[in-house]
Amino acid sequence: MINFQLNNTSVQVDIDPDTPLLWVVRDHFKLKGSKFGCGVGLCGACTMQVNGEAVRTCTLPIAAVQGAAIISIEGLGTPDNLHPLQQAWVEHSVPQCGYCQSGQLMSASALLQKNPNPTDDDIDVAMNGNICRCGTYSKIKSAIKSGAEVMRTQESIVETFDPVSGKSIVKEASS
Amino acid sequence: MKTASITRRLFLLSTGAVATGLIVGCSSAATKSKGYSSIAGAFEPNSFIQITPDNQVIFYLPSSEMGQGILDGLSTLIAEELRVDPTAIDVRHASLHSDYKNPELRFQGTGGSNATRTQFLPLRQAAADTAAAIRNAAAKQLNQPAHKLLLADGHVTAEGRRYAFGEFVALAALMPMPENSPLRGPAQFDQIGRERPRLDALAKSTGTAVFGIDAEVENLYRAVVVRSPVLGAPLKRFDATAALKQPGVVDVVEIRTGVAIVAQSYWQARKAASALELDWEKTELASWSSDSIYQKFTQTLNDSSQKGLKCCDEGEGDKLLNQAQHVVSADYYAPYLAHATMEPLNCTVAVDGDNCAVYLGTQYVEASAGAVVYYGDFDADKVKVHPAFLGGGFGRRGLGDDVAEAVVIAKKTGRNIQLVWSREDDMSNDFYRPAALVRMQAGVSEQGLIETWAVRRVGPNVLDHILDQWVDVLAPDYLNKGFVDWLSKLGRPLFKRFIADPSSADGIFSDYDMPNKAVRHVAQDPGLRTGLWRSVGHSSNAFFKESFIDELAQRAGIDELQFRLVNMKNNPRLTEATELVAAKAGWGKALPEGHFHGLAAHSSFGSAVAQIAEVSVEGTKIVVHKVTAAIHCGLVVNPGIVRDAVEGGIIFGLTAALHGEITLVDGVIQQSNFHSYPMLRMADAPKVEVHIVESQEHPEGVGEPGLPPLAPAVANAVFKASGQRLRDLPLRLS
Repeated sequence: MINFQLNNTSVQVDIDPDTPLLWVVRDHFKLKGSKFGCGVGLCGACTMQVNGEAVRTCTLPIAAVQGAAIISIEGLGTPDNLHPLQQAWVEHSVPQCGYCQSGQLMSASALLQKNPNPTDDDIDVAMNGNICRCGTYSKIKSAIKSGAEVMRTQESIVETFDPVSGKSIVKEASS
Repeated sequence: MKTASITRRLFLLSTGAVATGLIVGCSSAATKSKGYSSIAGAFEPNSFIQITPDNQVIFYLPSSEMGQGILDGLSTLIAEELRVDPTAIDVRHASLHSDYKNPELRFQGTGGSNATRTQFLPLRQAAADTAAAIRNAAAKQLNQPAHKLLLADGHVTAEGRRYAFGEFVALAALMPMPENSPLRGPAQFDQIGRERPRLDALAKSTGTAVFGIDAEVENLYRAVVVRSPVLGAPLKRFDATAALKQPGVVDVVEIRTGVAIVAQSYWQARKAASALELDWEKTELASWSSDSIYQKFTQTLNDSSQKGLKCCDEGEGDKLLNQAQHVVSADYYAPYLAHATMEPLNCTVAVDGDNCAVYLGTQYVEASAGAVVYYGDFDADKVKVHPAFLGGGFGRRGLGDDVAEAVVIAKKTGRNIQLVWSREDDMSNDFYRPAALVRMQAGVSEQGLIETWAVRRVGPNVLDHILDQWVDVLAPDYLNKGFVDWLSKLGRPLFKRFIADPSSADGIFSDYDMPNKAVRHVAQDPGLRTGLWRSVGHSSNAFFKESFIDELAQRAGIDELQFRLVNMKNNPRLTEATELVAAKAGWGKALPEGHFHGLAAHSSFGSAVAQIAEVSVEGTKIVVHKVTAAIHCGLVVNPGIVRDAVEGGIIFGLTAALHGEITLVDGVIQQSNFHSYPMLRMADAPKVEVHIVESQEHPEGVGEPGLPPLAPAVANAVFKASGQRLRDLPLRLS
């Protein structure tokens, strides 16, 4: 039995220990946003975050994620509650066929967790493992930059709630 | 010239119908049925639009969305005339129905970059008539003159009050349906031509867009197929004893292309596949390797006794070639290429008694449905195709080979199955862009005018392989299968001996004013199956033509831009695109040290595209810094999508130009995954700038035309940077 966190929920699964995480998430937990592209970790369509790192899950045996925290595209944001990067992806109209974009977003979000203000070169390095056959690279890059900017702005704002009214109180964080 | 090219295109796209004379009329019987399931109380004026009493506007998309943005484009046409916000439309992939036939292909499918061109008026008319019906119903219900009602944003406004469309659908459904309602003019357009994020961006940025591989049905087993290392070789024998003992494996069955393993999970099936023992028959393809293919092509090219089939003969043909001031001759080569869609082929099949449901992304819904009937022996009316988003198409999806395997596995095992091809399966069982070797010859006058254009082209065709796939699955099912299969094989002799496959020569003698032309094609096919690869013949022919044009200009001592412009006086669209790109890129102006510009211009699928590549050379490495493009595609529905499609074509074309090559050793394809068939990655992607020529002319294609000029633009810049004229693809400096 393997236990891990999937999108902040504790899950367990009893499955052949060498089964790649990708297929467990897709076909066992029925979260279909992460894609199968090459099966050997060369294209990045299957990228998820494992303990905050962008990892190619088509080659990651489920046994290796015991106790790990996994975030898939479904855990990054939802259509009603978009992650700033997803918002940027929509505003920049990034996707064409869209098949690689979950993986692109997971690599990009892992980058921004470590480096909130990446240069073009930082982005090139971090996104090197993700292929887009439709050629959306320039838009991905623009969207990462504008998503990063939004996130930097948001992080300087602390949201608290009035305990009586329940209303949100937004304050500039003291730096 | 225009008419000729349209005729060629029509021939290409409808060859399934024209060449066999059989497909025409298949399921064309007049019927009042709609292409969708009825919703109680909804207004259902045609197979494209449903409006429910609670104001849901549903549009059934007749074309497949594979990244080209047609979901957005066609929804915009509906929104414009129906007077609704495009983001408020619920867009669904249309299943199989005669109302969704592609007007040029004559069957339901998406290809040839023709969807916007062919649907621009019919879909708007369907929406305009629907809007008129709502207006008439509102007029009657509100007792107002129809012309006083304002329709906008899914509402009717009368005397200052807004009513949602849904309030009038019940009455609209009972009233006579208007026809030929006036369409909005370009001055009124508020959706067409507007730039906004594409409608499918949200689903595709949240992992919620459903692709074929995401299909789930009850009691679903997963299947993989082990096929011959030499594509198409029949199975001699197999031993499944060891494979059947592997965990999770429930069935091992022989199918036409090999042996299928069915297991509870994909991983179990994939692992068990390596435990199969198989022997394959030897076929002719096994006697070919890339070197011997190239040698054979060269031999044929030089063998003047093989005349080849006539693709074009104009003026004096090649008779005056040697009388010209400048006579230039050069041989060019383009290799086989794989499609490598990001989503490997897959197909999910659910069988329930006599009924068969198929889930997949397909460019050709009708061929996919036909494959269920032909290979699975299901009655056509018991087959339901559930189309999904395509994780890339590029001409690969919907040839029926995926369905043929999946439906037989499901039938033989009696299980619902999802067949998933591995990347390796996908790359070694493709329908490849054919290789070609050509001899380009031209005579140029002292003034720099092309007088004679002579081409001799050697290589495989495409249509015979496509017909072999499609005649089977598109022919009416009352025909005897043996007869249909015999018929499907006729393409080979037809295009070898009698008719030049128009796709082979597409674009190799077009665009310029060449009074004397002689173009011949010698069909030479080692037997590796070929297919429709983004921009088809243009993908290689533009490289041959536009590289050679630079050679001619240089021999005549004329600037490459000027040479093109003086030789395309009868090609206003390409002239506009070429002038625009030259101005935007700064042709002839100073560039950073070591950077050089290369130009190419090419028309395909109705649109004209010119590109300038800015390139430097570092040792034997080619670095493409920037590509500037201009496209003349007529009226633009969403400029953002046009620019994306052209940029996508450029990146796709650059992957091919720098890396793309499928090679054979003893019939076995040597490329298997992205390590041996590499894709351009972000760090190597050039800056791309796309400019659109302003036009009110009828819209033309954009999905493919951005690709063909890229390789020659880069090759032409490489020549200036290195002095090496690279005449073979992929481009490699020595």
